[in-house]
Amino acid sequence: MTALGAPAPAAQAGASSAGHLVVTGTSKRFGAAVVLEDLSLSVAKGEFVSLLGPSGCGKTTLLRCIAGLLRPDAGRITVAGQDITALPAHRRNVGVVFQNYALFPHLTVAENIGFGLRAQGVSRAEAAPRVAEALALVRMGEHADKPVTSLSGGQQQRVAVARALVVRPSLLLLDEPFSALDRKLRETMQVELKHLLREVGITAIFVTHDQEEALVVSDRIAVMNSGRIEQLADPATLYGRPVSLYVLDFVGQSTRLAGRIVAVEDGVVTVETSLGPVRAPGRFAPGSRVAVAVRPEAVTLGEGVAGANRVSARVSEISFLGSRTQLHLDLPAEGEDRGVVELPRLPEGVQPGSRVTLAFREADTMVFPA
Amino acid sequence: MSATLAAPAAALPPLRRRLDPMALLALPGVAFLSVVFLLPLLLLLWSSIRGEGGFTVNGYVRVLGDAYYIGVIGNSLQLGLITTAGAFILGYPAAFALARARGYAQVVLFALVFLPLTVSIIVKSFGWGIVLRRDGILNWLMLNVGLIERPVRMIFTEGALYAGMINVFLPFMVLPIYSVVRMIDPRYGDAAATLGASPWYRFTRVTLPLTLPGVVAGASLVFSLAVAAYVTPSLLMGDRYMTMSMVMAKAFLNLRDWQLGGAMAAVLLAVAAMVVVGASLMQRRLARHGGAA
Amino acid sequence: MTMDRLGTGIAWTALILVIAFLLLPIVVVIPVSFTESTVFRFPPEGFSLQWYGRIRNVDGLLGALWLSAQIAALSTATSLLLGTLCAIALVRGLVPGAAAITTFMVSPLMLPGLVLGIALLQTMREVGLRDAWWSLYLAHVVITLPFVMRTVLASLSLFDFAMVDAARTLGCSYPKALWRVLVPNILPGFISGALFAFIASFDNYPVSMFLVDVRTKTLPIQLLNYLEISPDPTLAAVSTVLIGLTVIVLILCDRLVGLRRMASI
Ligand SMILES: Nc1ncnc2c1ncn2[C@@H]1O[C@H](COP(=O)(O)OP(=O)(O)O)[C@@H](O)[C@H]1O
Ligand SMILES: [Mg+2]
Repeated sequence: MTALGAPAPAAQAGASSAGHLVVTGTSKRFGAAVVLEDLSLSVAKGEFVSLLGPSGCGKTTLLRCIAGLLRPDAGRITVAGQDITALPAHRRNVGVVFQNYALFPHLTVAENIGFGLRAQGVSRAEAAPRVAEALALVRMGEHADKPVTSLSGGQQQRVAVARALVVRPSLLLLDEPFSALDRKLRETMQVELKHLLREVGITAIFVTHDQEEALVVSDRIAVMNSGRIEQLADPATLYGRPVSLYVLDFVGQSTRLAGRIVAVEDGVVTVETSLGPVRAPGRFAPGSRVAVAVRPEAVTLGEGVAGANRVSARVSEISFLGSRTQLHLDLPAEGEDRGVVELPRLPEGVQPGSRVTLAFREADTMVFPA
Repeated sequence: MSATLAAPAAALPPLRRRLDPMALLALPGVAFLSVVFLLPLLLLLWSSIRGEGGFTVNGYVRVLGDAYYIGVIGNSLQLGLITTAGAFILGYPAAFALARARGYAQVVLFALVFLPLTVSIIVKSFGWGIVLRRDGILNWLMLNVGLIERPVRMIFTEGALYAGMINVFLPFMVLPIYSVVRMIDPRYGDAAATLGASPWYRFTRVTLPLTLPGVVAGASLVFSLAVAAYVTPSLLMGDRYMTMSMVMAKAFLNLRDWQLGGAMAAVLLAVAAMVVVGASLMQRRLARHGGAA
Repeated sequence: MTMDRLGTGIAWTALILVIAFLLLPIVVVIPVSFTESTVFRFPPEGFSLQWYGRIRNVDGLLGALWLSAQIAALSTATSLLLGTLCAIALVRGLVPGAAAITTFMVSPLMLPGLVLGIALLQTMREVGLRDAWWSLYLAHVVITLPFVMRTVLASLSLFDFAMVDAARTLGCSYPKALWRVLVPNILPGFISGALFAFIASFDNYPVSMFLVDVRTKTLPIQLLNYLEISPDPTLAAVSTVLIGLTVIVLILCDRLVGLRRMASI
């Protein structure tokens, strides 16, 4: 298995020392539109990083810059310490799985996989066993001589992955590799692909606009916003300590109230919201406009622990999600405020229209500049 | 539960104002057609309204005010309609069989429909003459079968003309319908059947509407080719059945009457334009209702 | 169910009839070309190759064949160049009014041939171009361009340019990626466009009719002349040769890219 790549190094979450892939100060504009803005990124060897962001935020553009398909206007890109900024795509040895796979319809499955080897001058005889090995790796052995047009979506994805891996790239880039698959298959393929790439021991960057997918497949997630990386962190940090409202909203759900700082003391601020005062750790000047937020599972019904923030609100909707139950709250300031609470079990007597008291610890409360 | 796309999509960049250098690749072709195609056409239309003392509609008066020329226009339209109808009646079911054939049979059948398209129209008209002659193959066949006692005259009859026209233009009907039928999922019919639809109902409510784009494409192509046909009518009928094209050829080559020829050309052009515009309007409407069948 | 079978029966009967009908005038010239008699009677009498031998003696026939081949080949080549460039611009570039340009580029296809011929004749006279060869060449570029445009445009717009990127990341330089991925995928469209264009030019009568002169005649015009002057089985022999050539070209195309792939574009 490991013949396809370097022996798997221990995949470490969190960038250690010098990265395997380092992108520094990269910018790209199309005409007047700035698509990448002074973007920097470091990925450790063997690490899986997701680029997460809405459609049009520049994820594909960044990927194309790394692959050498686009020339950035400014910045430097190095892989394993070697500056590849000026290298053309075909000399970079960076594997890419394209969004709709871009398989070659005039070739069979095996010919597709062997394409890179042949293009790099590997003889037919030498290429054959490597193609066979790659076919076995993605469990497509019995489909070797089929035309790629006859494959299902999942099979096409496997061929695309094998085609990119067989040339032993130093880095694998995957552009929304699951977006063409239906939901059920997508979930299976996510786990399968992660496992496969781990086995090969390759460094990989996934592009996705689906936060759940990012949480499943990656060691760290870079949340992108209009050409910049807003936050790059492991999933737990991203969820628990988002650096901005944008990240808070993009990853997971939350209850969120707009307000104004009324008191500052000792690293704890008091915010006046539409539901009353809320205390949270933070450093803001009195009078600034902010938003306080708390994750759904950090909220309990009732009085909670001593010193907890307490607000009261009306329940508008209850959704049973199996392992937990979600309450949606009716909040006065429409648009700015939003309320979602998740409970392991729905207490007796709570129904749409009930007034409930919500409690959440000061330490679980986050403040962001509005 | 998923917060996918929770954040608003980034605003689209403003459309680029400066011209894409790749767009310049279109220039040679467009320039060529403008000079060698559009310009001559405009000159022709101009000459149809140019008389001794400047502007005149004399040519049009002569064409549209003369019963003879109205008859010629009628002939052309009639020839176009009959050819289109004949090609449709033969071609529609044939296209279905062609599209539903499988494997090697389909390649062979397809090649047999395709081959006549590649054979010179002169050869075909010549061959058609051999078929229809008094001592030709058709008379010989019918005599031997005992259908007739003596050879009958077929060449230079209107029936022969229509048959020849349909023969020449039939592939242009079959191929567009074929390519539409090939795209239809046969499961539509099954779905309708499970809903209790009778075969006839299924055909008129499901199959026919789905194939209409192909029919419109084929019919407009056959009609515009047939209405302007020159070689086949003049070989199979000669002067006995004058069409617009024949009048034009005569006006320019024999009579040197540019005004008459120009006006006739303009009328033919108008007919062709109406067919093209009508067909594309119909296609657009079908596309809008497409899939809703 | 029985009505389904009836429908299938009708369709297959129609297809057999259509093919027989289409092939009839083509197939009959073959036996006639081998006849011994000087008129084409059916069934043909005896067997001889005399009419094939006489092809060489027919005035201007070989010259016309050569001229038609020249004009068809050169105008098709010119159209491939102009049409491919234009199609690339329309598919890949931001061309203002792309839809209108596309319509314009294929519109000669819809124009009655005679009208085009007359218009060109008139314009050539006005600008003083009296050379028949050049007039024919220019006119035939107009005739062939729409065929090339349509098929190349169709196959280019079906082509996913991410495949070129894929080839580049797999180790192909840009030109090599175009050669290894773009070319094989648009070749069927290219060849079928060229084939249609060549045939349309080679077989054109109504446009050429106005542009030929006494010494410069294309094959269809020469054939029709001959048919009017001396209709003997020589014409059947010429036709048989042409049909044979067509079949060979079709088989070659089928070997090269597959007829059905060509026709699907
Ligand atoms: N070749 C290009 N020319 C002009 N604009 C482009 C080009 N490629 C991308 N863009 C623009 O750059 C922005 C980012 O695109 P992209 O990187 O594809 O986004 P994502 O992959 O995150 O959805 C989009 O607004 C897109 O319209
Ligand atoms: Mg993208």
